[in-house]
Amino acid sequence: MTGLAVDIAFWTFAVAAAWFGWRVFRTDSMVRATFCLLASFLNVGAIMVLLLAEYLGVAMFFMMSVEMVVMAIFMVAFMMNPAGLNPMEMVHQPRAAIAVGIGAAVGLGVVAVVADLPPAALLDEAGTIRALGNELMGASMLLMEVVGVTLVATMVGAVVLSSASGRYGSADTGSVPPLLDPDDPDSRPDLVSADGEGDAHAGHGGHGGHGGHG
Amino acid sequence: MTGELAAPHPVLGAVVVLGVLLVGTAIVTTADAVVADRVARRGLDLRASLVRPWRRIALSLVRPQPATERPDWGLWVLAPAAYVGMAAMAVSVLPLGTDWAVADVRTGIVVLGSAEVLAMVAVYLHGWAPNSPLSLVGAYRFVAAGLSFLLLSMFVLIAAALPAESMSLGRIVASQQEGAWNVLRQPLGLPLFLVVALSVSLHGPLDMADGTDLATGTVAESSGPARLAWEFGRRAMLTAYALATAVVFLAGPAGPVLPGWAWLAVKTVAVAVVLVWCGHRLGRIGIQRYVRIAWTVLLPLSFLHLAISGVAALA
Repeated sequence: MTGLAVDIAFWTFAVAAAWFGWRVFRTDSMVRATFCLLASFLNVGAIMVLLLAEYLGVAMFFMMSVEMVVMAIFMVAFMMNPAGLNPMEMVHQPRAAIAVGIGAAVGLGVVAVVADLPPAALLDEAGTIRALGNELMGASMLLMEVVGVTLVATMVGAVVLSSASGRYGSADTGSVPPLLDPDDPDSRPDLVSADGEGDAHAGHGGHGGHGGHG
Repeated sequence: MTGELAAPHPVLGAVVVLGVLLVGTAIVTTADAVVADRVARRGLDLRASLVRPWRRIALSLVRPQPATERPDWGLWVLAPAAYVGMAAMAVSVLPLGTDWAVADVRTGIVVLGSAEVLAMVAVYLHGWAPNSPLSLVGAYRFVAAGLSFLLLSMFVLIAAALPAESMSLGRIVASQQEGAWNVLRQPLGLPLFLVVALSVSLHGPLDMADGTDLATGTVAESSGPARLAWEFGRRAMLTAYALATAVVFLAGPAGPVLPGWAWLAVKTVAVAVVLVWCGHRLGRIGIQRYVRIAWTVLLPLSFLHLAISGVAALA
């Protein structure tokens, strides 16, 4: 692309990234906030592609997308209100946050404008990158591998622990739903099937749907 | 920034991508109608099978769009556009002829993967926007499926990049012309990638978002042009993934006598027909089973596939 086209693209992405970043705190829904943040990240990724950091930019697309989808689901799952769909405030301690945000933006802006950055990619004359590669893949290889295997084992363990079915059958076998009215022992809902398959929640109805996005 | 293949002017490139998606959608729609009639043994009146889908499209154009309670109109309108856009992004990095692609970037398979993930975002938001229970269930169900099949797709594409020693899809085709087609030297890859293609394009047994068991899930509240746009998106995505399958496993434009684009078209249509046929012949699978099979059978298979492909590429 020519200079002008790159400039136009850069400013479009930059303004969009900042605007969506601002929208994160102005919406009233966790899902909207999450995907505004994703839109902001996508624009930053596009700027990275413009800067010829092609892999980093594109990797940002897919990593941030998966991350934000998972985040949206977990945030909705752990919200107090039904399915996280009720309107809610997106900010905590707004004054302190605004001060910190402005401070960080000014500080980084000053660094970017004042610093004497190299105009083109530098050759690695001192061999730093090579040395780093040798360190990771040479002497510290065993350590890195142990860390890697430990992380995988942790993830598998977490999945096994959270899995609904276990060695002795379904995890919710024998569990009893709470009373709808604490004073009335007859108000216990019917026991749902405990085979762990399918519609364990179908009887309660009304997940999502109610409440509006706000 | 670009790989080896020549790129047309960006405007021409955009027109080509749109053209590919439109023609592909027309072919998929026709194939779907013909296969449906064959499978149902509903007489073999080819003319009726060819006309029916277009009549349905014309009818759906005049149907009104009902409003739900407090929907997110913006996202509801944008989601199908984003979904089509991701199909377009996938097509743009695929070689469309022997020596050209719209954008044969060095990070081709990563762009393909990003298109898939962002398609998941689009499907989720399309189900979330109408503020309706069945749509929302479809959206969440698709995310559960998506998080399962995305890893499959990643490992299959990385395996294809190994013998090419490049993530560019142009190089992946070239490496198949130098050696053997990936369908032969990486036999596990094709079936795994077909699972991904059916899942991401919401087709057949793996249609987790818009299944009829959810009264069509994320499109349950869409009607008229909005529904048509979404249906176009699904078929455009199927086209893009049939094209990707043809490129990654069947050496895309490679072949004797005919020009490259013609071979690519033949292979893509063949893959698309197989996918459509699967959609009509195979029974729907429940989401719990889908996720369990994906994580306990398909994902280990894809690890194995990656290991075998890696050893084969080193040998």
